[in-house]
Amino acid sequence: MTVMTINVNGVARTVDVDPATPLLWVLRDVLGLTGTKYGCGIEICNACNVWIDGSAEKACHLLMKDVLTVKIVTVEGLATNGVLSKIQQAFIDEQTPQCGFCQSGVLMRAAKLVNGNAKPTDAQIDAAMANICACGTYPRIRAAIKRATGQAPVV
Amino acid sequence: MSDQLFKNGAELINTNVSRRAFMAGSVGTVLAFVLESSMPGSVANAAGAGTKISGYLTINPDNTVTVAFGGAEMGQGIMTGLAQCVAEELMVDWSQVKTESAPWAQSYITGGSFGVRANFVAMRTAGAQAREMLISAAATSMGVPASSCTASAGVITNTLNSQTRTFTSVAADAALLTPPASPALTPKANWRIIGTRANRTDIRGKVDGSAIFGLDVQVPGMVYAAVRHSPAIGGTLAATPKLPAGATHVINLGNAVAVVASHSWIPLDYCAIGISSTSSTWRDGIKWTAPAGAAAMTTAAILSTGNTLMASGTPGSPLAENIGTAAANYTAAPKKFEGTYQVPFLPHVMMEVPNCTVSLSTNSAEVWAPTQAAGWVASTVAALTGIPTANVTVHITLLGAGLGRKIEQDFIAEAVKVAKIVGKPVKLFWPREEDLSQDQYRPFGLIRVRLGMDASGTPTAFQARNVSVSPLFQRGWIGATGNDNVDGLVDSPYNIPNKLVEFVRHPSTIPVGFWRSVGESMNCFALESAIDEAALIAGQDPVAFRRTLLAGKTRELGVLNAAATMIGWDAGAPAGHAYGIALASGFGSLACLALEVSQPAAGSLTIHRACMAVDPGMAVNPTQVEAQMQGGIIQGLTSALWGKTTFANGKASSKNFNNVRLLKMSESPAIQVQIIESGIQYLGGIGEVGVPPVAPALANAYARLNGTRVRTLPFF
Repeated sequence: MTVMTINVNGVARTVDVDPATPLLWVLRDVLGLTGTKYGCGIEICNACNVWIDGSAEKACHLLMKDVLTVKIVTVEGLATNGVLSKIQQAFIDEQTPQCGFCQSGVLMRAAKLVNGNAKPTDAQIDAAMANICACGTYPRIRAAIKRATGQAPVV
Repeated sequence: MSDQLFKNGAELINTNVSRRAFMAGSVGTVLAFVLESSMPGSVANAAGAGTKISGYLTINPDNTVTVAFGGAEMGQGIMTGLAQCVAEELMVDWSQVKTESAPWAQSYITGGSFGVRANFVAMRTAGAQAREMLISAAATSMGVPASSCTASAGVITNTLNSQTRTFTSVAADAALLTPPASPALTPKANWRIIGTRANRTDIRGKVDGSAIFGLDVQVPGMVYAAVRHSPAIGGTLAATPKLPAGATHVINLGNAVAVVASHSWIPLDYCAIGISSTSSTWRDGIKWTAPAGAAAMTTAAILSTGNTLMASGTPGSPLAENIGTAAANYTAAPKKFEGTYQVPFLPHVMMEVPNCTVSLSTNSAEVWAPTQAAGWVASTVAALTGIPTANVTVHITLLGAGLGRKIEQDFIAEAVKVAKIVGKPVKLFWPREEDLSQDQYRPFGLIRVRLGMDASGTPTAFQARNVSVSPLFQRGWIGATGNDNVDGLVDSPYNIPNKLVEFVRHPSTIPVGFWRSVGESMNCFALESAIDEAALIAGQDPVAFRRTLLAGKTRELGVLNAAATMIGWDAGAPAGHAYGIALASGFGSLACLALEVSQPAAGSLTIHRACMAVDPGMAVNPTQVEAQMQGGIIQGLTSALWGKTTFANGKASSKNFNNVRLLKMSESPAIQVQIIESGIQYLGGIGEVGVPPVAPALANAYARLNGTRVRTLPFF
């Protein structure tokens, strides 16, 4: 066990855990930020996506000792003072989530996409959205991304 | 408390505020009601006896209302749909409505696409009763007759002098009144909320990270446990392993080992890693004792037994369907088709793995679980602890999908056993590898279809034999000669004068369960593929062939023609592409799917478009009907293309998303959904009917693309 401080959603958080613990479990079990999900644990499903210095990364395999000097943003950090970001609001407007379990990871990737690309094309959306959604919300994820970027809705 | 049972099954009970305040910490006035059973006449429901309260309505201090319901919200929108029904009659605006899960509901099992259709009248009645009680209390308060009062947006107005009362201000008085026996229900023409695209009530938490699924539950003093089961199903732990570093407990559960620690990672790391090993030993030299009869739990042996049963097995009694003289008619028919279709064991693949949090006290228990059967959870706790079910509180969390898997009690029981030993609240969860390798799978099955046709190619005899493993038999719900897995074969909409449907039970002990659309998931593939194959023999277009067989069936023709029109069937597919179509009838609804496919390279398929026409009688919420169709198509494609679990000596092939492939966004077709509403009297379910037509539509398109008929799933 080691006392360490990490920056999560702009706040310094001090935890006492094994430095080899994946960030995912520190966020969830220690810090109570349960929006970030465990889906597969092997870096495939993307349910555990967080931002590391602005890049969407998989928290299931990021070790605590490797995230001590970076800025971490989780789904709980997408809204500002309770005001949803444009992509979150678009997910509501398009009624995107079904069961919702994968949606935190979906949102982290979608938010990253629309923040860096004013008008993502369908191909760019396909390339960016590597998440697995077993409910099959893909059409509504696409529609939400288009809505958030002021593009015409898709069928 | 007064209780008045109505003919529609709704019951409204007055209660006081204290219980509600205890449950969620907010003060309001509670009106509780009982709902109709979730699965009328089903075996499952018979086991769910117990409590009387399935839901309640709270009038909040801010003049909003909270509709609580004891079903499982697993993405299908059940909370929203039922709250729409209550709000419609209660005369509140949709913006005033919240929903929450009722903390226990021992009579409610969420399944069978019954949620909205079975409770549609009950929920409206409950809302109307509450409205009339609120109006009555307000009228007394204002000293005027109730007949002079109207309710709108949560405010009661005395039309004589425009005096008003909010719901909140009269709720306490209203709760003391006797619920009216026959409250007036709002006619369809005046509906404001039912039938609209009301936003889901559970979305906000799902986009800001605050939604609490079972896996997210945290209670004071809790510890975390993960499990690792015998790799061979039914095997046992030969000896309790030594305590892993960092863990507080290692527990021998017989067929599994549980590891407990102060957070999830150590148990997960211990239980998930090493699963790729095929040896009988595993981490730290743990030895498993192989189950008896392991060799029989091998895919090739299971298939061989299935083929034998197809040829000579004894069908269930009475025959699942026996109309006319199908066998003799088939034998004499001048044109014939026979084909045998094969479907694999199929994992459910929920994004949220099985999990359960349990806190035990001396004579009471509290459980937080993503469960489709809260009543069974209470019974499971009682059976393992001796705590009476009345002292068991079950909190139904959000479900990160259920798909039929989360009706089961295996993961619940493990959590209870571990909590007993640890003596602290425990959250037990399964690593993904355990979820996919220890599922209760959609059954393996063989389905033989025979169609006898007259000289003109019109079918006159339909024979089907389903040989499959039976979830009902494995649970003891049917006897050795009972029928199972025949939905989608019996009561088919096709006008064929002679019909014979048989079920032959496969004795495999691979655990099987209820998978979204159950029997339809296998039988629709067989039947709708066979119809296309017979059309080919008859020299007819598949859509025209179906139209002939559906003469006079207005609703079936409606979805068939709509799907064909959407895809542009008559104009034909673009060069190098092909269309395929299939019809599903089940869960009270009809769904017809047309697909456009091409095969740019061997070993894959490109699905360009999916056009679904669905007739649920009436869409309580069109957005949610569309969402269920979109999701059903995508899940159906995933399953048809890649879905399977094979077994070698009881060991499952499926482990994690590195060998269980799911369709991704880039692979998903453009989806068009058309809702046909043929009448409220046909109100059907929408959670499952979108899945069954996918595999046969794909197989039919594939056959038309390159002449190759796929009779065995998955494609790849």
